[in-house]
Amino acid sequence: MSILDPMAETGLRFFGSTSASISHELKNALAIIKENAGLLNDYVNLMDRGTSIDPARFQTIAKRIEDQARRADNHIRTLNRFAHMVDEATKTADLNELVALLVELFQRPAAMQQVTLKLQLAQTPPLVETAPYLLLTALGRCLAFALQAVPPGQILQVGLLARSHEILICFDLLTGLSNLAPDSFPTVAEHALFAALKVTYTAEAAAQRISLAIAQR
Amino acid sequence: MADKILLVDDESEFLEVMSERLAARGMQVSTADSAEAALQMVEKESFDAIILDLQMPAMDGIQTLKAIKAKKPELQIILLTGHATVSKGIEAMKLGATDFLEKPADLTALTEKIHQAKAQRMVIVEKQIEDKLKKIINVKGW
Repeated sequence: MSILDPMAETGLRFFGSTSASISHELKNALAIIKENAGLLNDYVNLMDRGTSIDPARFQTIAKRIEDQARRADNHIRTLNRFAHMVDEATKTADLNELVALLVELFQRPAAMQQVTLKLQLAQTPPLVETAPYLLLTALGRCLAFALQAVPPGQILQVGLLARSHEILICFDLLTGLSNLAPDSFPTVAEHALFAALKVTYTAEAAAQRISLAIAQR
Repeated sequence: MADKILLVDDESEFLEVMSERLAARGMQVSTADSAEAALQMVEKESFDAIILDLQMPAMDGIQTLKAIKAKKPELQIILLTGHATVSKGIEAMKLGATDFLEKPADLTALTEKIHQAKAQRMVIVEKQIEDKLKKIINVKGW
């Protein structure tokens, strides 16, 4: 039995799974860099023994190391943006930025399920008064559920729809939504999160969409 | 005879550099970038050892390990992972993995484990041949 309330536990689990996912990606990039450094060493040893190595091979290795270093740097930037989500308990947040970060954080989980994430941002950045980390957690739970409703090889679209006084954050193209048990999501934890954030969750099986509606500032 | 190994990882750049480094150490290296491709290769060829990434899309390393062991129980499988946990390691060993290493793996250590895996496989294959011969002798009544 947890000593935390469901909402706190959900927030912590989101932190844990997100950090683990990014650290895994970093490990992969570092492993490739390490092996390429080892390969350079192998070439030096060969040259010491009189074997000549085509300079183009060194260029190939240099490019690989550069590409992986850039990849690792991108992951660190994403992790940094994620970490800064807790700088302020509540603030005026740009939903375009928040949803873009969400999609970045879920690239690997989606790839593991062979699903491609497509992002559709609002033309004008929608600003809302919210608790950014909690909202990101709520959206993360929605996206994790939405991924279950998309078969491998398909696209899942995450987009923003502006209505008169609210913004809809939509998860579309959920072709398998009607196959999922309607009471499997949201759970008690997600209900608590949505209530605290004053957002409204809607599942539309016919439209193959789930969404969160949030009042616009 | 050169160690014949199969490298399985969804990261093509990792496959490229590892296969070059292992080939430079005298091994005969094949690669597969998915569990599905690995299972197809295992059907057609025999390997002294399979180096398998734990986290791959569609079918992860543990599921792939189970599928390979079901087809070819004598195959020696070394799991490589970016996040080695004790529980995953125990699960892998219970399912028949030969060994379990964290990325980035030390190449000398990995090479040594491949040699050990090959020796282990040869013991199993020799036992299988011995059992077959005994069966034939019993049936023929020699």
